[in-house]
Amino acid sequence: MMDPKRRSFMKSTAMAAAGSMVAGATSLPVIQADQEVKDLSEVDGLNWHKAPCRFCGTGCHVQVGVEAGRVVAIAGDKAADVNKGLLCVKGYHVGGILYGNDRLTKPLLRKDGRLTEISWDEAIEIVAKRIFESPETFAFYGSGQWTIPEGYAAQKLMKGGLANNHIDPNARLCMASAVTGFLATYGVDEPAGCYQDLDECDVLITWGNNPAEMHPVLFSRVTDRRSRGETVRIIDIGTRRTRTTDAATDYLEMQPHGDVAIALGIMHLLIASDNYDKSFVEKHCNFRGPEETTPTLQGEQISEDEFRQRIARYTPQLVEELSGVPADSIRMLAELFGNREIRITSLWCMGMNQHTMGTAINSLVHGVHLLSGHFGRPGDAPTSLTGQPSACGTVREVGTLAHALPGGRVVTKPEHRQQSEGFWNVPAGRINEVPGYHTVKMFEQFTKPTAEGGDITTMFVQVTNPGQTLPNLNKLFNAKEGLDDKFLIVSDVYPTATTQLADLILPAAMWVEKNGMFGNSERRTQQWFKMVDPPGDARDDCWMTIAIAHKLFEMGHAGMKDKDGKFIFAINADDGKEIPIWEFEHYYDTNVDKHLFEEYRQFTTMKHKNLAPYEEYVKARGLRWPVVEQEDGSWRETRYRFSAFDDPFVKKGQEFEFYHSSSEDGRAQIWFHEYAPPPEMPDQEYPLWLCTGRVLEHWHSGTMTRRLAPLNRAMPTAYVEMNPEDASAANIRQGELVTIESRRGVCELPVWIDGRGRPPRGTIFVPFFDETKLINNCTLEAHDPFSKQPDYKKCAARVVKQTVAKKTKVKS
Amino acid sequence: MMHRLASVFLAVLMAVAVVGYVVGILDGVPQPDGMRPTALIAKFDQETVDTNPKLIPAVSYAEIASTPMGPTKAWQSLPQALPQPEYDLYTKIEPSKEEKEASSKLRASRRAFNGAPPFIPHPVENTSDAACYACHGKGVKIAGLTASVMSHQFLGQCVQCHAPMAPAPFQDIDASVDSSFIGLPAPKEGIRAYQGAPPTIPHSRWMRENCNACHGGPNGWSGMESTHPWRTNCVQCHAPSATLDQMPVPEVVPMLSPLDVVTN
Repeated sequence: MMDPKRRSFMKSTAMAAAGSMVAGATSLPVIQADQEVKDLSEVDGLNWHKAPCRFCGTGCHVQVGVEAGRVVAIAGDKAADVNKGLLCVKGYHVGGILYGNDRLTKPLLRKDGRLTEISWDEAIEIVAKRIFESPETFAFYGSGQWTIPEGYAAQKLMKGGLANNHIDPNARLCMASAVTGFLATYGVDEPAGCYQDLDECDVLITWGNNPAEMHPVLFSRVTDRRSRGETVRIIDIGTRRTRTTDAATDYLEMQPHGDVAIALGIMHLLIASDNYDKSFVEKHCNFRGPEETTPTLQGEQISEDEFRQRIARYTPQLVEELSGVPADSIRMLAELFGNREIRITSLWCMGMNQHTMGTAINSLVHGVHLLSGHFGRPGDAPTSLTGQPSACGTVREVGTLAHALPGGRVVTKPEHRQQSEGFWNVPAGRINEVPGYHTVKMFEQFTKPTAEGGDITTMFVQVTNPGQTLPNLNKLFNAKEGLDDKFLIVSDVYPTATTQLADLILPAAMWVEKNGMFGNSERRTQQWFKMVDPPGDARDDCWMTIAIAHKLFEMGHAGMKDKDGKFIFAINADDGKEIPIWEFEHYYDTNVDKHLFEEYRQFTTMKHKNLAPYEEYVKARGLRWPVVEQEDGSWRETRYRFSAFDDPFVKKGQEFEFYHSSSEDGRAQIWFHEYAPPPEMPDQEYPLWLCTGRVLEHWHSGTMTRRLAPLNRAMPTAYVEMNPEDASAANIRQGELVTIESRRGVCELPVWIDGRGRPPRGTIFVPFFDETKLINNCTLEAHDPFSKQPDYKKCAARVVKQTVAKKTKVKS
Repeated sequence: MMHRLASVFLAVLMAVAVVGYVVGILDGVPQPDGMRPTALIAKFDQETVDTNPKLIPAVSYAEIASTPMGPTKAWQSLPQALPQPEYDLYTKIEPSKEEKEASSKLRASRRAFNGAPPFIPHPVENTSDAACYACHGKGVKIAGLTASVMSHQFLGQCVQCHAPMAPAPFQDIDASVDSSFIGLPAPKEGIRAYQGAPPTIPHSRWMRENCNACHGGPNGWSGMESTHPWRTNCVQCHAPSATLDQMPVPEVVPMLSPLDVVTN
């Protein structure tokens, strides 16, 4: 009897062999994702290995072609369930990121203002000394691009070793509001659904989201369904027209912050027309609102009547007034949500997260789905995407945030500290109960003179570029210049805006130059092996952390010892002897990633985020947690959490169960939040809305993608997108260099009228990828009260025509 | 002769106008100077034009500068095609080594490594799928230029994988990068088991399911064309590589165990 999978595989192979371009004869996925698939074998001296892509949070797998110790080719991995063999233009060229000629290859120390090559031994000693002398004024600033073991090692060094909670990641600027939204609603972080929702939804709503450029592989997964003859209605709610709008059935243009009003308006109509899912709400939901005096993430329970009363004022007319979206469109949305015959998926990313009401809008959109019962069936999902490859894996799950401990724990809960101390085998009381500084606060304290209370004096930055990506750079970063007692250590792969102010630069290994693990947006944990050597003296970030820890251990820092007096990162060989992994020549004597991951895995069961043993990830193209061992010893991943048909932790007999409910009754919370206007709005002096973001070709601060010829050729410079009428009114021509000014700073940019996206009158947009044109000089550091995530999407600015009109500068 | 040339010229001119109109205007492309009034299409869609297909909308002199030139609705609705050079499936094809080399070089100049999606070698103002498909769906030859046929089935969002050239305002910026990345070169040829045997396929067929995109038809690459384009099922004779196609490949080809023969 032929196994059905095998049969479908043979069938699709036969179809592919037919070799024609007949529509419908799709040759996309031919291999079932859960089959174990080996990498391609060697062909003509070329070896192929799997790795997740280095860039965004989608988590595509690539096959990396390695020849004679160098990466020479990339292919979409057909065995990967996420991307099914397809990539985007960044992914196809990811191999080139290793080979920019200006890679950092030596540790560099700033001596008398000049960068000087020093040895690794000196570098590690300098760092360790600074920490040893003042451990409580040291801060570690990390990243959603940290691999899971890197983040875990940093977390353990700080909280389990130095008893110092000043560790925070750039993901604070990226998805902290998504976390607080999930916690407030479900009592536990991360999406319940998965990417399969994109294959099954009838309606896709993009809330301030442009997946056609930011998560292209996921978006084309939806639009390709249309070319196969399926109907998907795409509703784009945004503040400017984008490539997503081009594919959208409906475009609802909103005022910044209008999303809050829209979500409230939909809920109001669902209730007013008695069209919500009463059975789902009655069985599985509570209503909640913020406390009147001091609002917390927990909020307080309110009755359904109270909820009805509070939301009653959000009529379509008021919502139109607040959001600019016509009342009829609000009614249209409410009618769609009222229809339980169709499946609705909501997608969002930075638009809802980088928002001073980030927690509120995240909770409200979850609320719309819960109230309407569009939850927990494939295709019915509120789905939050991440922008970095391991924002979920390293930040949210390992908990590399100032208040968190691994596995969904927090430093403020005694039992969580106790459990963590147990897993780490460190003395009771080691972990500090006071949360450390969140990102904005951390940089405020670092750039403020010590005499004025700036109590962070040494900062270690790994795998990120705050000198380009922090908001209000003049205040939060540039002010460091000239403060002699402040010491900035930066580990990176290329010179960046951050290394410009660094006192010590450490050259890092990147991506397939080291072992690693990432966790993507759909709870999928991925693993890869080192394939090529890093250039020069570049070394793994995880090694740096361990080497610094060991230097502190040698200096006699008590925190670097566990209860038994052993080094906290000790790894023993089979013969019981300790492997000196702090010496780089011995770092790969064992698989350090595997040891750290197996230790970390113990933390993951409390919040039912169970992970499988390391070896299972070696075989798979990622597995979505909870991964639960079956009776036959195999490991099963979970696609849908809280839904009985797929989640093994839902109580028998229940259709849904929110088993980490903050009200401890198995229910999710439908929140009410009052609309509030943004903290800074255009006025006479600064009459334009400034929005920032990304473009398809460049990723994050462009450090990697701006070293790839095909991408730079497509998008050689940052620009300011302007509405033609605004440009016309200001007598500004295409390509003209102008100055963008806000109350905080300026940025000079060439104008692209309309541009990649098309902003409405009164709005400009600037991508932040270009290190020579720092728009974050202008952005605002105002942040959400719960998530502490700043709002990069809206502040007031003006475009100033330069007195002598210049064309865009041309190099050479 | 002159008459024929003139009519060909006219047809090409009109076709260019149609393509230009469809590609350049219908989708709201930012014009080079960016001063695009927004109501262009609305003017064409006036009721009178709809009800009387032969009517060309009148415009005031003031509006002429901002009014699109183009065919009437009635003409638009007729199936239009660019006149294509005649193609004879049975012409004898003798690909030359020089042509193949030249084609390979041109191909290589448009991708970072063998297997990378080629980037777009011409300016694009409109990145909608329809605009790309207008020429690359079936392929077009015009004025000495060839628009190649898509080598894979229709996939949405062409610019997701194929990087365009720099946007119009930034085309004179030097976008070169300082990199030591050296991409995998394209394979030169497949393996022939013996003289006259059909060569194997030396590259992945992933995203290259349509062999004719490069190897045949009126739009194939010179020097790479098949000598027998009338044959339709290429893989009937040319064996692909399971490994390159990312099929599950066993470490050894499984065979029955050898016969258990008792020897004296």
